[in-house]
Amino acid sequence: MDPSSLTNLQLDALRELGNIGAGNAATALSIMLSCFVDMDVPKAVPVSIYDLAEYYGDPMEMVSAVFVRSEGEFTCSLIFIQNTEEGNRLVDLLISKQMEGMDPADVPDEMRDSALTEIGNIILSSFLNAINVLIGGAHSISVPGLAHDMLGSILDVVASIYGQFGEFALIVDTSLKIGGEEGGVSGKVVMLPDPGSFEVLLGKLQVL
Amino acid sequence: MSKAHHVGMAEMTVVSSPESLVTLGLGSCIGLVLYDQTAKVAGMAHIMLPDSRGAKEKALEKPGKFADTAIPLLIEQVCRRGAVRSRLKAKMAGGSQMFALPGAQTDFLAVGSRNSAETTEILKKMGISLVASDTGGNKGRTVEFSTQTWMLSVRVLGKGTSEI
Repeated sequence: MDPSSLTNLQLDALRELGNIGAGNAATALSIMLSCFVDMDVPKAVPVSIYDLAEYYGDPMEMVSAVFVRSEGEFTCSLIFIQNTEEGNRLVDLLISKQMEGMDPADVPDEMRDSALTEIGNIILSSFLNAINVLIGGAHSISVPGLAHDMLGSILDVVASIYGQFGEFALIVDTSLKIGGEEGGVSGKVVMLPDPGSFEVLLGKLQVL
Repeated sequence: MSKAHHVGMAEMTVVSSPESLVTLGLGSCIGLVLYDQTAKVAGMAHIMLPDSRGAKEKALEKPGKFADTAIPLLIEQVCRRGAVRSRLKAKMAGGSQMFALPGAQTDFLAVGSRNSAETTEILKKMGISLVASDTGGNKGRTVEFSTQTWMLSVRVLGKGTSEI
């Protein structure tokens, strides 16, 4: 199924799925960091692969992204993406909450990267778990990959993945705000279902 | 500063000296430049995938998307602007694999290396010499080709800019 031919009802169903997934991810994050995590209303939008690079703004923005693939009946790509500075602050927050007495500035870069990868992994796995509970079936999730790079390059990779299927990618995204208004950290959870898995998903939700 | 033309995903653009060609944030895609210094003409393609076999008809509306459809068309377009085919030279950058996920079924994540291999192969078949390339690795690239120095500057975050 081509993402551009999804009906409004189907997009609504996918948005609700994003809501359930992101809600579970926000809860996991909130427990891990023992702080408030707010989320906005998820969006589900079919985007032309040719417009993807600029979909989130300046392609030259420096971002940190954690990427995983879900395999099995429902295949999709999941990305947790943040401005690199916000990513650094999230790691600081984790270190100060979980490793008492340790100054985040003393932690070596490799360990910071590993911490960020793990935060991303927990967010994305929780997102996927909520969906799995909802639609059933067996799923596995890949080892997470981390990149600090230009936003455009990250989306370029996404465009080449979905360009192999067709001309559109379906983006289901939710912004998370971690730690309240003052000094909070934001990040985006992005799910891109593979075109072959729409049928599975929408069938289970009975809106095919 | 002369005008810089931005070449978007799957697009192809041809310019004459002194204008330049820019592509922001290449990941697994390839920025390929074909140029003729004597005729002062250069063209850039932003190639996404190695080959168009198996692609749906709709995808072929964007010939710049695939290496096998982009390269012949780019040759035709630069020649139409006055370049001479036998004088054409090529430079390229991109084709990185930004995420390595061990154990996952990630053929489509390794598309970067297939892109650069296929582009190199097609250029060779068409008798165009590839004078410089910067491909592979796991970092994104922003490239700019100058039709004054005929150099391709490649910017990588955290590593700075190099000219090839």
